[in-house]
Amino acid sequence: MNPAAKAPIVSITNVTKDYNLGKVVVPALRGVDLQVHPGEFISIAGPSGSGKTTLLNLIGCVDTATTGVVSVAGQDTKQLSERQLTNLRLHTIGFIFQSFNLVSVLTVFQNVEFPLLLQRKLDKAQRRERVMQLLEQVGLAGHAKHRPNELSGGQRQRVAVARALVTRPQLVLADEPTANLDSVTGQHIIDLMKELNQKEGTTFIFSTHDAKVMNHANAVWRLADGKILDRLSASEAQRAMAVGGH
Amino acid sequence: MLQLLLIAFRNLGTHRRRTLLLGGAIAGVTALLVVLMGLSTGMKDTMLRSATTLATGHVNVGGFYKVTAGQSAPVVTGYPKVIEQVRKDVPELDYIVQRGRGWVKVVSEVGSSQVGLGGIDVEAEPGIRKVLQIKEGSLDGLKERDTVLLFEKQAKRLEVKVGDTVTLSAPTLRGTNNTVDVRVAAIAANVGLMSDFNIFVPNSTLRSLYQLKDDTTGAIYLYLKDVAQVPAVQARLRQTLAAAGHELMDNDPRAFWMKFEVVNREGWTGQKLDITNWEDEISFINWTLTALNGLTGVLIFVLLVIICVGIMNTLWIAIRERTREIGTLRAIGMQRTRVLAMFVFEALTLGFLGTLAGAVIGLAVCLGINAADISVPEVVAVFIMSEKLNLAVNAGSVVGAMLFITACTTAISLIPSFLAARMKPVTAMHHIG
Repeated sequence: MNPAAKAPIVSITNVTKDYNLGKVVVPALRGVDLQVHPGEFISIAGPSGSGKTTLLNLIGCVDTATTGVVSVAGQDTKQLSERQLTNLRLHTIGFIFQSFNLVSVLTVFQNVEFPLLLQRKLDKAQRRERVMQLLEQVGLAGHAKHRPNELSGGQRQRVAVARALVTRPQLVLADEPTANLDSVTGQHIIDLMKELNQKEGTTFIFSTHDAKVMNHANAVWRLADGKILDRLSASEAQRAMAVGGH
Repeated sequence: MLQLLLIAFRNLGTHRRRTLLLGGAIAGVTALLVVLMGLSTGMKDTMLRSATTLATGHVNVGGFYKVTAGQSAPVVTGYPKVIEQVRKDVPELDYIVQRGRGWVKVVSEVGSSQVGLGGIDVEAEPGIRKVLQIKEGSLDGLKERDTVLLFEKQAKRLEVKVGDTVTLSAPTLRGTNNTVDVRVAAIAANVGLMSDFNIFVPNSTLRSLYQLKDDTTGAIYLYLKDVAQVPAVQARLRQTLAAAGHELMDNDPRAFWMKFEVVNREGWTGQKLDITNWEDEISFINWTLTALNGLTGVLIFVLLVIICVGIMNTLWIAIRERTREIGTLRAIGMQRTRVLAMFVFEALTLGFLGTLAGAVIGLAVCLGINAADISVPEVVAVFIMSEKLNLAVNAGSVVGAMLFITACTTAISLIPSFLAARMKPVTAMHHIG
């Protein structure tokens, strides 16, 4: 089924975001409109300072827009209380961070299990089964008892992927997930994300600079100076990058 | 919740040096509090045990008899009826004794001294045998008329030993001086301040010295099964004795001998009863306990403030170090209340483990001091009514001290924890530092 036929999971309408730095107002997003449909594997591309992270923060409900409407899973985020936003993040969205952001004092298993404990939906045996299933999928079942500092960067990011997916979120946001990894490991992480996107139907939105990473996306939203330039297919984006365009 | 406790516990373990330093400080303050409370309780126990046997009951029915307005005697006339009434009104009673009370000059061949005189019926006094340690002679010697029990210090001052005779001289109710020769029947080990100004004679001797009737005594001492009942019994007796037609003095929480001046100034004559408790009768030395408790309070307060500042500072550092972690946890769906709980648990765990260690150390110190049988300087012995240092540890107080310090450290951690919980996820996630 064509993902575009379903209702969008993310809908952004005329969104602006300004940061107040003392007396100076810095516009990070200037009237962004976009829609992402369930099952899409979307890349947001653009140079540093183009507003990629700000856009992901708004979609991830960890920040609020200055103007405009951000709607996630059919809910206007501006109308939600802090508690409701937290619940929306917990039940609907998974996060993968550039620098992994694992809890250093917890084991791999406990890190992945953590969102399930916050959800309080599954009992201990069910949690264990779900966590181990994901650790197997990301190839880290044998490292369940390790602490994050005993893992390589690629392994840590795979733990982060497992943590993001453990609650079966409708949407996973990944901010430069391969930026801190070497190209081979980065490729593995993208392959893994793509595989999970295809198997589980999870929607992925990730930001990246890397043209090779972009190549896996269904579509690439190109961002510059806080505005969406265009929506390209992966191959179009590759060509655009090759000629030095944004 | 278990996961939050686990995070708290492991974070404390990760920053071992910081945890040990702060936990050690908490343990030190707890241990100090336990030892000081042990000292205070020990002193109070010793004073209670010694004083309530030698100089007062738990509750006393004493009083004054005035022949004329300006001349009073510390006696209770018709005491058998009062005892009968008390027995009826006080079911909490363990036992009851009546003792003559007076102030005499003891004269030996080489010296003299002014002392308080206690008249006892030694066979009716089960408590006195437990408290007095007889060094020479026998307590049973006081069964005989015209005998006396002295303390070592007095015997030394008067240069007498068992079998020697001393003279007691005291003014009677009629204002004339009377004397009686008594034989030293027993010499007891000193018990602090009591040894300085107390001697005991049989009640019959005291009556003959003061020329009192058989139904007149100094005071009726009530010993209760539970000391905690003292205020209730005291209040009840005031009502029931008044209802039975006895005249009562206004409540004046001082020893009987401190009331002469006030009583002599008042215009009434005849008998008035005075109901006091053991603390009233030794109020003149009770200030030592108050001072020790005050000192303990000030010391603990200052140390607690230092610890609380330490806890706050440590949590600030921890929160600063873990700001990104807070942002991440908030982003993946942790509510603010749980972030708050996570840091409060950290302070709670540190406080609990620190106080637990402190309580164990404090208990060990108390037991060690008791086992070492440490003699205290004479000036201290005077006030604590014991020549040995005795630290009484009460399980309830130790648990109370632990809970109090843990509660303080936890409460103070609420401030940084609350601010951590208020952080915006986006700000926290992008924190650098």
